[in-house]
Amino acid sequence: MYERPVINTIIEQTYIIGDNMEANESLDAVGLSCPMPIVKLAKRTKELNIGDVLELKVDDVGAKEDVPSWCKNTGNEYLGMEEEGSLMKFYIKKLE
Amino acid sequence: MVETKKLAMVVAEGTFDKSMMPFIMGVTAASMGWEVHIFFTFFGLSILKKGAKPKMGGFYRFFTGMMENRMKKVGLEPLKEQIETARELGIHMYACSTSMSVMGVKKDDLVDGAEIVGAAKFLDLAADSDVQLFIG
Repeated sequence: MYERPVINTIIEQTYIIGDNMEANESLDAVGLSCPMPIVKLAKRTKELNIGDVLELKVDDVGAKEDVPSWCKNTGNEYLGMEEEGSLMKFYIKKLE
Repeated sequence: MVETKKLAMVVAEGTFDKSMMPFIMGVTAASMGWEVHIFFTFFGLSILKKGAKPKMGGFYRFFTGMMENRMKKVGLEPLKEQIETARELGIHMYACSTSMSVMGVKKDDLVDGAEIVGAAKFLDLAADSDVQLFIG
């Protein structure tokens, strides 16, 4: 049986990267335009614990470049994204 | 730890679009952990007045309401709320002291949190910033 590689284990939570990325927190910013997804992302990340993985749902095309830039500037880890039509799902791990 | 970046903006116009831009940019920068300084001068000063309702420029002023509705639809707040958000995020908003004298604007006319400074203080901040933008 195929086993998906485990990339990180933090206190009973296992994050898996494979066909689907798994997150323990979710934020819906669908329908919002720049800069609101980033503003909401920043607010929400403040509430998270270090090591948490957040799934951010957005449909504003600018987010594709904005989210990685935000991660670079804030010192959080950008794990990747998935696209389902116009919907984008970003995975961000809180580091700082 | 990521190094804190600094953004300095000058706003010289007070039309609707030019009142939204510094806050959109500033709130985004603050969300990225940057330190933000905005200097409102000349017609830009009117944005910092309590109850300011900027209109689009020229003929487009008739479409200000339409623009506001469209912005609301994509989750962008009106100016009053943007200023509140900016304050919550610790964005520095400066009123140009000379513009205040020229335009007859008193300290009490300004929104809470607005600081009155001169050009030298702002240039000092701008010189020390990573990004400087002029909105006019």
